[in-house]
Amino acid sequence: MQNTLSQPKPGESYLLWLIKIVSGVLIFAVLIIHFLVNHLLAPNGLLSHAEVVAYYRNYPIVPIMEGFFLVFVIAHSLIGSRSIVLDLRPSPALMKVLDYLFIALGLFATGYGIWLLFAVINFGL
Amino acid sequence: METSKKPNTRGILDWFDPRGRNVGGWGFIINRLSAIGLTVYLYLHLYMLGKLAQGPEAFDAFIETAKQPAIMFGEMLVIIAGLYHGFNGLRIALNSFGIAVPAQRQLLYGVVGITLIGTVVFGVRMLTTH
Repeated sequence: MQNTLSQPKPGESYLLWLIKIVSGVLIFAVLIIHFLVNHLLAPNGLLSHAEVVAYYRNYPIVPIMEGFFLVFVIAHSLIGSRSIVLDLRPSPALMKVLDYLFIALGLFATGYGIWLLFAVINFGL
Repeated sequence: METSKKPNTRGILDWFDPRGRNVGGWGFIINRLSAIGLTVYLYLHLYMLGKLAQGPEAFDAFIETAKQPAIMFGEMLVIIAGLYHGFNGLRIALNSFGIAVPAQRQLLYGVVGITLIGTVVFGVRMLTTH
């Protein structure tokens, strides 16, 4: 099994591969906190709208953490999706188009997520 | 051993070819399928959380809907995929930096074990909470 070790594949830079690994580990850590609060400490297993707003306002570190979490998850999912596409052996021209699409999707999802964080913090103000 | 170096000539169908696959090969397939499932869930999750911006009526109605058995079953699939992908990812990260490389197969069995135990724990918790 030695040769199944994870490593950058053709068309994937060392930097992207490293970001995938590091963001994965960071996601794991934040996900534990996310689950403890949202599902274990929450009285009904799920937070209500009012509870989410109060949680974000009372602990400003939480929306900051969720913002970083968002960026890590989106980056990880897009780099991962890209390596799946690479396995299907696209032409370099197609890959270039797809790369722009991945970047556009990542920017859109990140922008939307950060807008949503502020919408929750400022809800009803 | 040679099979994992076999060039991928048939694209996506190659993932599901059971011939000559070793344990690590299966670990890879499940990692990839769970990755696709979690990616779909991520964007669905971001979209549904948009209801937080619409206000308490919209969001709390959605939370009530989420307690239906069909949704809970879907959530269990997310839990299973997340447990496997997360712990397998830690194994890959360790191995990538040269840690515990000789034990990678045993660690994969451990990942499967944690996933099974975690699935039962989450399932019981989900059923007893709602």
